[in-house]
Order: sequence, then structure tokens, then C-alpha cells
Amino acid sequence: MHAGEYIHDHFSKIVIRSQVAIALTLLLLLPAANFFYPTDYNLKAGIHGVSAILAIVIGTYLTHRAIPLLKGMHVRLESLRRWVLIATLLNLTGAISGNWIYMRYRGQDGPRDWILAHVPNFHNVLMEFKEFVSLFPFPLMLAATFTLYYYGMPIQYRRDITRFVGITILVSWSFLLLGFAAGLVLAKLRFV
Amino acid sequence: MQNPADNQQALHSGPVVAASLSLLLAFSTLMISHHISRLSRELDNIVHAYGHWIPGSTGSGPDGSIGSYSGKETLALMVWLGSWLIFHFLWRKQDLSLQAWTRFFVVSLAVITLGFFHPLSDPIVLFVAGLFGIH
Repeated sequence: MHAGEYIHDHFSKIVIRSQVAIALTLLLLLPAANFFYPTDYNLKAGIHGVSAILAIVIGTYLTHRAIPLLKGMHVRLESLRRWVLIATLLNLTGAISGNWIYMRYRGQDGPRDWILAHVPNFHNVLMEFKEFVSLFPFPLMLAATFTLYYYGMPIQYRRDITRFVGITILVSWSFLLLGFAAGLVLAKLRFV
Repeated sequence: MQNPADNQQALHSGPVVAASLSLLLAFSTLMISHHISRLSRELDNIVHAYGHWIPGSTGSGPDGSIGSYSGKETLALMVWLGSWLIFHFLWRKQDLSLQAWTRFFVVSLAVITLGFFHPLSDPIVLFVAGLFGIH
């Protein structure tokens, strides 16, 4: 027996969209609170936090869009590549603002000095790892964006290429998550 | 309507390999320049010099600076964009096997990532540096 494709009715769409809106707002409040922290670096910290969370949210959404690519199915390419482009720009913002806040991290009596004095391995191992893998998501996403725009619509005829794009999106998200989790741990350990 | 088979022949996978190979080279550059900069103060200064154009690459005090990280980023950017451009124009009309390349790409990324994990990479770096007489 074929049950047919499940299609959300009007009520479920309202529930799902409200849930997404509430979750996104509350999640954004976490890094947005940085803007009001009692430190001279609250602007830098806030921008980096907000761009990181947004990159995580869009990146995670894209991992779902990547699954049909892996399976070689037809996708709404116009919409997909626009989202991948947005993710690329968010990851670039995250990397640039990360460089910006990293200056204070290394500054006199900054988080690095404190961490080295108290729990050195959080700097020597975790931060030394995080500062580099956090640079990976932007160029990976840019490569995916480039591929989707370079080939255009005919890309759907080449499953091997769409599969590669799907894998690139998933890999980019993995590095994003690694950097994000490490960044959260460090910011929680010693704020700027 | 166009025959799908015609379209398939018109597409070449070369640009995909070019874009992703240049990423592997860029990430390797980050890793190698990072390990080199940790060996001695002189080597750190050499790497740092490439990054002086980045605002906030030098300086001290509470506001700090990103130090030689700027040089590692610059070197990686140069390798990334330079090699991407070269490979793209070399391979834009070529069809390369993505099946083999996908596997190589993912495994290489994993290896490079482990290269940034100091407890694992430091013994190897010190061994290689020892071969060149650098301690």
C-alpha cells in the first residue's frame, strides 16, 4: 500500500514556523548578550558570537539540503545555491570577526594569559587547534558556491559533481561545529 | 528539448578538482607554516613578515595583535587563490574521476586536521626539524 508523500497542512506549518522563530530568537540572545557584557571588547565579542551562531544555523539547515545532493536527486538549485552563498558570507564574517576578537584574546592580561597561567592545555591544544580549523568552513563553502554557480542548471546531469558539492557542505559544517564548540568552551572559560 | 546526454558531455569535472585541490594546498600551507613558526623566534619572524599588511597583525598591550597568525593566513591565501587559478585554467576542459578524488579529498582533510592537534603532530614536527638540524 502506498501512503503517499506526507504534506504538512496549514496548522502544522504554523507550529513548525513558530518553533523555528522562537528557537532562533532565543539562540541569538545567547551571543547577542555579549554586546552588553561589562568589557571594552563587547562589540567584537558580540559580532563574532552572532555571526558564528548564524553560520551554525544556516550550515545545519544546509546539511539537510545536502542529503538529496548525495543521493543524486533533483533539487531546487536556485534556492540551494542562494543559501550556500549566504552561508559562505556568514562564514567569512565569522572568520574576519574571529581574527578581530583573537587580537584581544592574545592581548595583555587577556584570556590567553589567564588560561596559560591556570589551565595551559586549553590554549596549547584546544585553541591552537580551533584557530586553524575555524578558517576551513569559509573556503569550503566558497568552493561549493563556486561549483553551483559555475555549472548552473546542467549540474543536475552530473551526479558525481552534485555529490561532491553535498560532501563539501557536510565537511564544511563539521569544521564549523568543531570550531564553534571549541570557541564556546574557551569563551566560557575566560571571556574577553 | 536538449538531450541530457549532450549536457553531460558538455560538463567537465576539472574545475571541481581544481577548486578542492587548492583548498588542500591552502590548509597544508596553514599547517606547515604554523609548525615552522613554532620552531624558533627567527622562523616566527619570517612567517610573521608576510602578514604585516593585515590590520592588527603587530602590537602589544591589552588590545593585542594576531601576531604570526597573520603571516600563516597570508601564505595560505596566496597558495589557495594562486593554485586555484592555475589548476582551473589547466583543467577546465578536462574530465577527471571524481569518485577517486572525493575519497582522497576527505581523507586528506582528516589528516590535515589531525596535523593541527599538537599532542599528535609535535613529535613528528620535531623529528622532521631534527633532520634539518633545527631544534
